[in-house]
Amino acid sequence: MSDAYQPDGTDVSVPRLDVRDVTVRFAGLTALDAVGFTVEPGSLHAVIGPNGAGKSTLFNVLSGVYRATSGSVRFGDAELTSLAPHRVAALGVARTFQNIALSPRLSVRDNLMLGRHRLTRAGFLSAGLRLPTARREAVAHNERVTEIAAFVGLSERLATPVGLLPYGVQKRVELARALCMEPRLLLLDEPVAGMNGGERRDMAELIDAVRESLGISILLVEHDMGIVMRLADAVTVLDFGRRIADGPPREVQNDPEVVRAYLGAAVEGGAAESASGDGRVAS
Amino acid sequence: MSKKVILSCVALAVVAVAVPFYLEGFWLQTGLFAMSAAIGAIGINLLTGATGQLSMGHAFFLAVGAYAYVYFASEPEGGAHALGGLGLPTPVAALLAVLAAGVAGGVFSPIAGRLKGAYLGIATLALIFIGQHVLFNAEPVTGGYNGRPVPPMELFGLVFADTPELVVARVPFGSLERLWFLGLVLLTGAALFARGVLRGRPGRAMNTIRDHEIAAGVMGVPVARYRAGVFVLSSMYGGLAGVLLALIFQRTVPDYFGLLLSLDYLAMIIIGGLGSVAGAVIGAFFISMLPQLLSRYSDALPLVAEPGSGGVSPAEAARLLYGAAVVVIVLFLPGGLLGLAARLRPAATRRPVPVPASPAPAPAPATTKTPPPPPPSPDPRNC
Amino acid sequence: MITFLELLVNGISVGAVYSLIALGFVIIFKATEVVNFAHASLLLVGGFIVARTHPSVGFWTALLLGVAGAAAVGALIEFLVIRRANVASHSVLAIVTIGVDIVLTTELTRQIGTDVLALGDPWRDRVLHLGDVSVAQTRVVALAVAAALITAFLLAFKYTNWGIAMRATAEDAETAALMGVRRGRVSMGAWAVAGALAAVAALFLCVFPTPGLDRGTAFAAMKAFPAAILGGLDSTTGALAGGLIIGVTEAMMSGYQNDLAFLGRGIGDVAPFLVMIVVLLIRPAGLFGTRELARV
Repeated sequence: MSDAYQPDGTDVSVPRLDVRDVTVRFAGLTALDAVGFTVEPGSLHAVIGPNGAGKSTLFNVLSGVYRATSGSVRFGDAELTSLAPHRVAALGVARTFQNIALSPRLSVRDNLMLGRHRLTRAGFLSAGLRLPTARREAVAHNERVTEIAAFVGLSERLATPVGLLPYGVQKRVELARALCMEPRLLLLDEPVAGMNGGERRDMAELIDAVRESLGISILLVEHDMGIVMRLADAVTVLDFGRRIADGPPREVQNDPEVVRAYLGAAVEGGAAESASGDGRVAS
Repeated sequence: MSKKVILSCVALAVVAVAVPFYLEGFWLQTGLFAMSAAIGAIGINLLTGATGQLSMGHAFFLAVGAYAYVYFASEPEGGAHALGGLGLPTPVAALLAVLAAGVAGGVFSPIAGRLKGAYLGIATLALIFIGQHVLFNAEPVTGGYNGRPVPPMELFGLVFADTPELVVARVPFGSLERLWFLGLVLLTGAALFARGVLRGRPGRAMNTIRDHEIAAGVMGVPVARYRAGVFVLSSMYGGLAGVLLALIFQRTVPDYFGLLLSLDYLAMIIIGGLGSVAGAVIGAFFISMLPQLLSRYSDALPLVAEPGSGGVSPAEAARLLYGAAVVVIVLFLPGGLLGLAARLRPAATRRPVPVPASPAPAPAPATTKTPPPPPPSPDPRNC
Repeated sequence: MITFLELLVNGISVGAVYSLIALGFVIIFKATEVVNFAHASLLLVGGFIVARTHPSVGFWTALLLGVAGAAAVGALIEFLVIRRANVASHSVLAIVTIGVDIVLTTELTRQIGTDVLALGDPWRDRVLHLGDVSVAQTRVVALAVAAALITAFLLAFKYTNWGIAMRATAEDAETAALMGVRRGRVSMGAWAVAGALAAVAALFLCVFPTPGLDRGTAFAAMKAFPAAILGGLDSTTGALAGGLIIGVTEAMMSGYQNDLAFLGRGIGDVAPFLVMIVVLLIRPAGLFGTRELARV
């Protein structure tokens, strides 16, 4: 991985993300129940919880894919809950998907260039006629994509169709694509799921590097406690759609509610100790 | 572009230009017909192959193009079966006809933008039925059941008809010979434009809408707007194909623009290879030339007989063949003929396939032979 | 007033027939998640078998053969084509059915040629007079048969093992398979049932007052597509409602054609599609179709 890269000159002020009382109900099921937390600008905030706790639903609400039944999500001045996904993206919110959402037959470069969509303008006419404006724009943004790819460690794979790449590399492409949006808020949905130990370390380093050099807010959904403990400035714990704990990692780790949620019935202090460290908590 | 590609393009161009000087009317008409089909196929490919929106209404837009051209370009005729017309200069009429097809697409596009998968497919079916209804009933405009004669194109003083006579390099140039070059120009322009769209920003957005519609929105693509926009673009291609068709056959009849024509176009892009301009052209040539070839050589072929004689007519035989081809290709050859060609190229001349472990950066494929794109995936479950 | 009632009765009767076709279409979709564009040609297969065999084996045997034949063709399509298509994308399967449709329709219309085939039914052109209303006997039978079949199937869905297996597979195929549901059997069964229903519908589309089975029958059958869509692709209730709406619309528009002459001849054939578009504009998933989760 190469050195830190500078933001592209787009609006870089990173506001707070305020999630307040968000409830999502569908088909008789309450997926999220009055969930609230705050992501301070530039911080890395993790959301954890057993499977089915509502983490993916939360992400879908934040990126505009689901409409919340009630509650509000404010990103600076903007209210996200009523916006269509592409408008949420326009505010600088980028997201990765748990199950990779890349176009397998397109090259890495093409997938990354999609991330530049909201920053570019070429339409059917200028692209079809290959007008100079479209061509210049493509060149400029292709350069930027090359930079970002270098930062993420994908320089050698840019021409490869994504479907041919190993799973761990594809996850990095997903992350790189989100970065190509020049986001102010980065939503990472289980970035190390399915990876082995070495890949996890690399990804954790990468996320750390993103945080260090970009200063953007990162919201992370993860099951890997080691990564969460290492990287997160604050942790929110969900269980059955409800927030059961919120605070710095160490505090949350020792919270009896959290232990109960993960391990079941009340256990003695020994469980709290074994929950610390960098073991993975399987769910 | 590599030398090989430039060389083959030049060779192709030379052959294309030479054809009218050496081949007779049958081949010219077949080739022209194939060119029109190719333009239409490129259009439906943009919509269905690249963006994953199933449309069974493409024939409607060909009809709009053809009939609009006839209406705009014809002089009004009075009498018992009055036929309207605006009598505009033919190039203007042609342009307006393409725009009319675009407008028709635009009118339908709010529906196209909101519906997904099979719902869109069957809704576009409505276009066919509505189109047929209008074509048969709006007699003052369409000439009803009998159709209308088509005013020949006049461009820069050259009339694309058999008269006035024209001899080039001692070869008499009738309407087909003259139209040949017009067809080449139109097809080349249409293909290059579509290529530009597919390789640029819109193409990436379109492909993502096909592969992961939700992710596309999350990445900032205004999905409904794009789907509507591609629908309009694709209908303009259909309109252009319709105009060329009208010029070739010199008569428009409503029967032609029915459901089977739409299905033909879908078959073209499947057989040729979904998602690429080259695939659309290959499929179009295959499907439009097949019945002509079968009919030409029907004496030599055991099963093919004269229409109505109780045997299998060339048109029917062709349909049976490519209907079966669609099934076979989807099951066994998802990349279509284009994918097959890519696979059959001798290993020595094939480009080095980028391997993840290779230390050197893989050469970016400079030619059009990009790996065959996946089939469209508008999910019919998405309501 | 008389005319209106007659049109209404006719419309409901024809609508019930469309419901049969739409029901088969929806069954296929629910069980195998495939949009079967070859459905109209399945119908044609059934009708064609009846038309060809009734001179030699009599009407009722011919009808049985037609139903069995269409069911067999449906099952065959499922077995040979749908099951083998190892693609994840359902739209590709839809295109496969288009290919099948091209082949079947071409061959069948070739065999039919320009003939108009009679199906040899026993009701012929008899007309019943119920009070002030005159209705063709075939229409009454159609309504009765369709109602009976639809009721039978709805009951079967709810109460028989097969019905539960079908609904389970439609809901979540993997879980159903884990619970012991034989997915292949459910799929083939669904296609066979749909073929059988289509064959019965073919019968009623080709008897008096229509002239018989001809090249245009497939197009008549296609009106069932808007019926299924406007009801909602995955809703059996929707198929019923859609069929009735389409049938009544068509009857009304055709019946009042002279008053509506400005809309053009044959408006009755186009009206179903117009109605479908209007419904889809308001409810993009059809009247009873399930929409996705609340998306912005």
